Amino acid sequence: MIELLNIRKTYQMGETEVHALDGVTATIGDGEFVAVIGPSGSGKSTLMNIIGCLDLADEGEYRLNGRLIDDYTERQLSEIRNREIGFIFQQFNLLPRLTAYQNVELPLIYQGLPMAERKKRVMESLEKVGLANRMHHRPNELSGGQQQRVAIARALSTHPTLILADEPTGNLDSHSGREIMNILKELHKEGRSIVLITHDHDIASMASRQLTIRDGRIEHDSAAGGAS
Amino acid sequence: MKFSQAVKMALFALQGNKLRSFLTMLGIIIGVVAVTLLISVVQGATGKITGEIESLGSNLLQVSFSGTKATHLTLDDLEILEQEDTIYGAAGVMTRTAKIRAGSIEDNYKVEGVTRKYQDITGQAIKQGRFICDIDVEAHTYNAVVGIDVATDLFGTENCIGNTLDIGGFDFTVVGLLEKSDTMLANKDSTVLIPLTTAQRLFKNTEFDAIYISATAPDTVDAAEEATDDFLIRELGDDDSYFIINQSAIIDVTNEVMSVMTILLSGIAAISLVVGGIGIMNIMLVSVTERTREIGIRKAVGAQRSDILIQFLIEAVVLSVAGGVIGLGISYIGLQVLSTAMDIPMSLSLGTVALALGFSAFVGVVFGIYPANKAASLKPIDALRYE
Repeated sequence: MIELLNIRKTYQMGETEVHALDGVTATIGDGEFVAVIGPSGSGKSTLMNIIGCLDLADEGEYRLNGRLIDDYTERQLSEIRNREIGFIFQQFNLLPRLTAYQNVELPLIYQGLPMAERKKRVMESLEKVGLANRMHHRPNELSGGQQQRVAIARALSTHPTLILADEPTGNLDSHSGREIMNILKELHKEGRSIVLITHDHDIASMASRQLTIRDGRIEHDSAAGGAS
Repeated sequence: MKFSQAVKMALFALQGNKLRSFLTMLGIIIGVVAVTLLISVVQGATGKITGEIESLGSNLLQVSFSGTKATHLTLDDLEILEQEDTIYGAAGVMTRTAKIRAGSIEDNYKVEGVTRKYQDITGQAIKQGRFICDIDVEAHTYNAVVGIDVATDLFGTENCIGNTLDIGGFDFTVVGLLEKSDTMLANKDSTVLIPLTTAQRLFKNTEFDAIYISATAPDTVDAAEEATDDFLIRELGDDDSYFIINQSAIIDVTNEVMSVMTILLSGIAAISLVVGGIGIMNIMLVSVTERTREIGIRKAVGAQRSDILIQFLIEAVVLSVAGGVIGLGISYIGLQVLSTAMDIPMSLSLGTVALALGFSAFVGVVFGIYPANKAASLKPIDALRYE
């Protein structure tokens, strides 16, 4: 359960202040598949970073699973990123010197899992994205779509409840993009919450709820007035 | 995260940049080689010097006479000195350089007039024949005991017992051959020993040039020195005309000087270790900047601050300790070569090895902690955005 109340975030860009988020209020329930749509510079990536505990809001309240984010220690936030959240980035963000297997294994190493358990989880995740046969390849030996699937496998390996995907198809051709979206839909069916950041309305329409963001504010919520 | 995983990650990162890792280590390698070589060489030299002094006998006192004043000491006087409880024996020696001839070969050698006690006191060993004995001294015999170089130079053989040599126009019979000296101090290889009384006649002089005195035990040396001092003042009435050399005091002073040298030299060499440490810090800072994005990714997937800190700290410590180990290896080989070349036994002592490893690990931690902490305190979002 994600509850955002009047979240503000301001960046200093040289002389001018940029209000990346200017009072965002939204609630995302467990198991929802939400697309956050907006043009570039609308603040949608900032929103994802705050939801993913990578960044902190300047003002407003963010509750994750009912608890105020300010109450978590740095150590607990690392643990949340490790266990509760799986990140999928536009630039994949794989470590270039590690193989696909080692990249997927990374969050499990930080959990301190024994090797046998890590191996089981890594293979399970790689099979899910159809890349078990490529596990010994480095990122530069894989296509963009394959790299993104490795990144998804890494996000899945810890069995997170929330997947945050920031323009996951942004750097991919339409065929690979469809593959990635199919995997995300699959994950939603399994009961995970998914927050998808995109500027593409076609991609966004695959989610069950759309939040349109512009100039740091939520302009339209497809669920507003309806379900909530 | 488990510690073994952190070590694996650190080693993997260092492998990725082999040349850079090696160059960074080089500073530590040079520092460790400098420190361990210096310490070991000084220790070896100390051992050699004190060994030489000890081989003269650690209960030995030596009285030398300076000045031109006649000393008028006789063998009977020495017998009085020997009455002292702490003194085992006293041997007067007269030393000259003289032309010695055997057949057609002639050369200058040191000639010492000695008594039987000289052998007891200095522990001089005989290889063949016998030493000067009491009869020789009483009867002023023309018997001589020669050093090994004298024998080979004059007679071309070590088997020279019974041969005759000429000192100052008098024929002496060789009755004994001295064992080869293995020390540089008190080397008797080029010396001819003759009875003291014969020497007094030969050189027309009754003065001793030195007296060797041996204490009854190593711990009575200081008392023996005092007794000797009292005796000589009484006999000579003047304490400027002689001085007493106490072997154990020399050893003490030598050891002290050498330990100060060790500290001084290794202190200077340790500066290069610190410079090596700064090299590690420099490279680790570069590495942290280069790998900012990696750090961001690691934090995004859940690395704790401490995980990042430990990873980078281990990289620094591995660099410095590996440098220390390689440096010790080079020192070990260097000492083998030096020992053979200089004929002084030198080796790495356990203490030196522990010091070198301990210090390099210490350098790694001290100079690694700042870069590691810098990496660990990066905010995940800033690190991820870093291009």
